[in-house]
Amino acid sequence: MSESGGNDAAYVGRPVRVLQGDAFVAGHAKYTSDFQFQGQLHAHLVRSPHAAARIKRVDVSGALKVAGVVMAMEGKEAAEHLDPVPHYIDPAVFGGKSVPIRCLAIDHVWCYGQPVAVVVAEDKRTARYAASKVLVEYEPILAVLDAEAALEPGAPVVVPGWGDNSIMALPFANGDAEAAFKRAHRVVGTTIRIHRFSTQPIETRVYNAVWEEETEGITFYGTSQNPHPLRYVLSRALRMPENRIRIVAPAVGGAFGMKMHGHPEEALVCLLARRTRRPVKWVEDREECLLIGAREQLHRVELALSKEGDILGLRDRAIANTGAPSACPGWGMAFLTGLTMPGPYRVQDLDVTMNIVATNKPSWNASRGYGKEATALALELAIDNAAREMGLDPIEMRIRNFVPKEAFPYPSPTGLVYDSGDYAGCVRRSLEALGYEVWKRERDSGRKEGRYLGIGLAYELTPEGGAIPGTMVAGFDSSTVRVSPDGSVLLLTGVTTPGTGNPTGMAQIVADELGVPIEAIRIVQGDTTTCPYGFGNYSGRSTIVGGGAAAMAAREVRAKIATLAAALLGVPAESIRIERGVIRTSATSDKTLSIAEVAYAAYTRAYDVGLSITPPLEATCTFRPGLIRHTPDEKGRINPYPSYSNAAYATVCEVDIETGQVRLLKFAVAHDCGKVINPLLVEGQACGAISFGVGGILHEEIRFDSRGKQLTQSFVDYVMPRALDMPGVAVVHHDSPNPVTYMGLKGAGEAGVGGSAAAVVNAVNDALAPLGVSIYELPLTAPRVWAAIEAARRRQAPPARREQAA
Amino acid sequence: MTENFEELIEDSVLLQCQVNGWPREAEITPSTSLLDWLRDDLHLTGTHMGCMTGHCGACTVMIDGRVAKSCITLAATVQRRQITTIEGLRGPDGGLSPVQQAFWDAAGFQCAYCAPGMLLTATELLKQNPDPTEQEIRRALAGNLCRCTGYQSIVRAVREAARLLRENSAK
Repeated sequence: MSESGGNDAAYVGRPVRVLQGDAFVAGHAKYTSDFQFQGQLHAHLVRSPHAAARIKRVDVSGALKVAGVVMAMEGKEAAEHLDPVPHYIDPAVFGGKSVPIRCLAIDHVWCYGQPVAVVVAEDKRTARYAASKVLVEYEPILAVLDAEAALEPGAPVVVPGWGDNSIMALPFANGDAEAAFKRAHRVVGTTIRIHRFSTQPIETRVYNAVWEEETEGITFYGTSQNPHPLRYVLSRALRMPENRIRIVAPAVGGAFGMKMHGHPEEALVCLLARRTRRPVKWVEDREECLLIGAREQLHRVELALSKEGDILGLRDRAIANTGAPSACPGWGMAFLTGLTMPGPYRVQDLDVTMNIVATNKPSWNASRGYGKEATALALELAIDNAAREMGLDPIEMRIRNFVPKEAFPYPSPTGLVYDSGDYAGCVRRSLEALGYEVWKRERDSGRKEGRYLGIGLAYELTPEGGAIPGTMVAGFDSSTVRVSPDGSVLLLTGVTTPGTGNPTGMAQIVADELGVPIEAIRIVQGDTTTCPYGFGNYSGRSTIVGGGAAAMAAREVRAKIATLAAALLGVPAESIRIERGVIRTSATSDKTLSIAEVAYAAYTRAYDVGLSITPPLEATCTFRPGLIRHTPDEKGRINPYPSYSNAAYATVCEVDIETGQVRLLKFAVAHDCGKVINPLLVEGQACGAISFGVGGILHEEIRFDSRGKQLTQSFVDYVMPRALDMPGVAVVHHDSPNPVTYMGLKGAGEAGVGGSAAAVVNAVNDALAPLGVSIYELPLTAPRVWAAIEAARRRQAPPARREQAA
Repeated sequence: MTENFEELIEDSVLLQCQVNGWPREAEITPSTSLLDWLRDDLHLTGTHMGCMTGHCGACTVMIDGRVAKSCITLAATVQRRQITTIEGLRGPDGGLSPVQQAFWDAAGFQCAYCAPGMLLTATELLKQNPDPTEQEIRRALAGNLCRCTGYQSIVRAVREAARLLRENSAK
């Protein structure tokens, strides 16, 4: 598709360094909290200390008496000016239970940390102090925290008016699972408990709403992944037309899904700015950021197996604890977990149900992996367990059950259509990169010396570029390429960057397609007034759709440049060559033009040579990848994804059985993200996702006391991996191009959390196999691993000794 | 009438120090963190807030050449000290320092929110140890969290910076 294929001068495929990186290393990149405006006010929220309570009374008068306080507001007053926040993905779209979401609680709180009131003051210290003067009288009621308990008859109901706590119970069924289980040689069941953990970007959420008196509008500076869809949400909540709201998302300090919108503070700061007619800023503190949950799921997986280890049928009874309702898209992760079953495996007889449950824990938001990490964890742990039970090699068992590379495009039993891949090839190459044979010998000889080494492998299939009908999760996006009269190039796009490097990738594409030096390109993202309409950053989509659209626009502009240059030179357009900003012709001798000369002519000579083109030197294009199918098939299924990135993760660990501590010695990944635009950036994405998986499975956990108060309140309690905790990662690109995207891109940003986490669990269980220990309750913190080892020791100790010990 | 006026009053202190080589003098309240003073009063926004508990390191600055977490340092305690922020890392010619250059070349950042901590910590490490091993680099960076890179490219950048610095000193 690209004219630059095979071109030695091409930027695509090379480790081009980050565009405008000097601002980042010199401290000049501007993040939302760096914006400070004339008359700046600061907001501080009052949050519920109870998991469930009736609100008897809110009295903000104490706060209003503090010097420097400008405004204080509770839920009922806010509701007079604000409508409910529209859901990013309304559960009602899927036939589930839905509830209007208010920015501040009215009469009732349904989770710890829910905003109840807000105080606005001249400085942040005063706002914080004054918030402590807001009096709220609560009548605590019984909370339900566990998802299974929440499904029991008679359990406390989280949302007043709901009959029960099940938001929806979704079946993902195909074929005849019952028959498969009947004819199975063996059925192996595995119960996997995935804990609550979170993305925790180092930059927390920050919103700064500026009231524009002149236009009676609002400019909202914010840590937003999706400025255009957020503008719609704010317009509904604020009862203002979209054309009076401008969203600016400046540099974002990591997002990973957490900065997708629906958060109560977004519309609230806008309201406060409109009421005070001054700029109002809110900076989330880490304690608040840790309230945002994700990923907590329980899976009861059963595999029906033939004697040789073929998976004949898959059953999973899954329950997701999505916490209290919210307008954020977090709950949808659980839907994706079910939809992505059975991952890379060819089993067609499927009986999966996913019960999405509300509890009195704080709400979820989207988290890198978006539920697909849970699919990988459930499947990959269950397969290792089955292989262990059957006495089979877990790697061979996987290869035996993979969708073979000849089978693409492959219709999955849940209605997805996998575009391409070579799963067995990725496994082979990941093991090579790991040094599998050497480590196997090391493990086996170590066992004789009392060392507990383990090797773990896991696969993750990560559908990317998703589009959910009836929601602002769209599959397409737009980009504009504009060449100014001086020949410099602006790329404006609807996709945003959370700091992943996608602007550099897109600039590489445009530089090649247009034929200009990459230094001539500047990118503008994250501004609803200057950028074409787009949906922002999620689902590994940015370079697929933003880059695809940019390539199309660049080609249109290149055609204009070639036409005009031909007219200027008096040669046929087909003879024009554009490379690194220099225009040559193969027709006449050695006459050349610069892009700047042609660009100036395009703007100044519209009625002579310029008549050959439509000015200006600009094009806006939309890329809408194929394969997505929103018309339900005969079984009522849709395919929301155009792209199926996938990867094999392999690791070696050593467990200290005296302390339960796990140390990773080596990590390797062989991944298929389609065409690699920039290996430096792709490797960065893979390594980042692996550190999410490693940290998430070994240390990170958000915990609560029995009444629902969150115990995890800072990085003292929420322990993320540091440089010393991460082993070196060998990254192998094993690409098969996607036939329906620009240049075969598949998306590289999201994948890896579940696959890497599952590889670690499998390695730990492999290390502990001689002790008869396998752990499926996550995370594998040292105390939990130690307790499992101790329990096994007690089981194996002779009864007499056990009595002695007692 | 304000009832809580007394609770809000703090005596101010006079702070005199150097920031990025420039003398600074300010009346501040004793509870002001060095981070807030740098960001809110001096508008040096390259130093970032991540946790306010000293764990993430996004707020790292140098005090008399040693890295420190500015979020848990009271501004009033840096009397007569020399503070260096990420904005002060550039060389005397205004160009990027070798450490900055290496971080850019080797993609030692993604979102770069943690970059002030990583760059200053690497600068301190390479002053003390011009040729650190990978393990020494990882240990030196252990006070700084990065959520994007998995540290691999940061470690590579520090190695590259060490090479550049050694080359420069050999010249």
